[in-house]
Amino acid sequence: MRTFALALVLVVAATMVIGIAGLPPHGDPDGPVHTHVGARYLEQGVAETGLRNLVTAVLLVYRGFDTFLEVVVIFTALVAVLALPSATRQPPPPRGEGAAASRREADDAVPVSPVVFLVVRLLAPFIAVFALASLYRGHVTPGGGFQSAAIIGAMMIALGLVFGREHAARLVPHGAKAWLQALGPLVFAAVAFVGWRLTGAFLGFPADEAAYALREAMVVVLEVAIAVGGAVILAQLFMALDAPS
Amino acid sequence: MSVVFDAVMLLLLIATAITVARARDLVAAVVKFGLYSLVLCLVWQHRGAPDVAITEAAVGAGVTSVLFLLTIAKTARSERG
Amino acid sequence: MIGGVLLEIVAVGLVVVGVAFLLAGTIGLVRFPDVYTRAHAASKCDSAGAGSVLLGLALHDGFAFGDLKLVLLAILVVVSGPTTAHALARAAMRSGRRAWTRDERGPA
Repeated sequence: MRTFALALVLVVAATMVIGIAGLPPHGDPDGPVHTHVGARYLEQGVAETGLRNLVTAVLLVYRGFDTFLEVVVIFTALVAVLALPSATRQPPPPRGEGAAASRREADDAVPVSPVVFLVVRLLAPFIAVFALASLYRGHVTPGGGFQSAAIIGAMMIALGLVFGREHAARLVPHGAKAWLQALGPLVFAAVAFVGWRLTGAFLGFPADEAAYALREAMVVVLEVAIAVGGAVILAQLFMALDAPS
Repeated sequence: MSVVFDAVMLLLLIATAITVARARDLVAAVVKFGLYSLVLCLVWQHRGAPDVAITEAAVGAGVTSVLFLLTIAKTARSERG
Repeated sequence: MIGGVLLEIVAVGLVVVGVAFLLAGTIGLVRFPDVYTRAHAASKCDSAGAGSVLLGLALHDGFAFGDLKLVLLAILVVVSGPTTAHALARAAMRSGRRAWTRDERGPA
């Protein structure tokens, strides 16, 4: 077994070394990075897409399908975790007198430290503002839907840790839970069909000057959906894995 | 200077990756993986990819660590547990 | 003119002090015997070390508007570092870790 593992590692390592040796030197102007689509994105990206942030342009316009499937992948991860039997199984409710008290005791055997409670409560609004700023400014500066989703999701997890499961669950309204979880893929598909109607291409964005507002609106809707849907999915992943089994 | 920084960071990256792979205690592995993400985040930022750096810091060092820890709490802490 | 030089001296001094704290904290993290003393050393890294390095950098840059970010970062580090150390020590206490004493010299 050990010899087999060693042989496997050697073969993989040799393949990687050969592959790396075949790469063009770093910064080579004739390398494939500079001779294929990259140069065109850099030179004409802004004019072609009408978006000011080139990263956003590549993410949503040139590579829209990749981003769409990326959103679907995150959603699939949540579906997979929720499909685990332990994620949705509820512990049997304790009966008789003092049921509520014992239930609470089992839920958080260790009371939350007042220091951590205070600091998380104090920092949460600032984290939220940072996430919103990263979403809003993502138009022109680094940041955007995915980053903001990760930050909001982390904030929701931190709040869930100090406030307890019941309160954290209330952050996501029960009726809208399923819709919010699927928000990213749903909105992406909707925008893709709108683009189809407008330009004749699935996920197409109207590029002409007159459609400026519409194009911006499509991008903003997509980014907000990625941020909200992604944050809800991250928080739900945490809740599902944290569920008492 | 920039080359030195890059070299140090990449060597650190390899070193942390090896320590992650060698850790028997999975909680220690998660902590070391967080360190790996942090170093990678610095590399991204230094190579001019702030978008990726933000994601790496938030997802790699933050959210995945929490999810890994939860999974370990639900299963076993040691690799041969 | 003199003010500028003075500001520079204070800025560099803050950075040097911060780096000294970082070094001492790191050595402590490696050398101290148990989780409580290590948390004590590591939290010095965060609050005193990183905090004063950030403040020194902001001063060095002359407190322009963009340096507000550095000050905010310093505040965040100063608030979150001790909280983390507190949570760590509390969790160790709750899970029954004994504090190291001079009598028991074994690995803690």
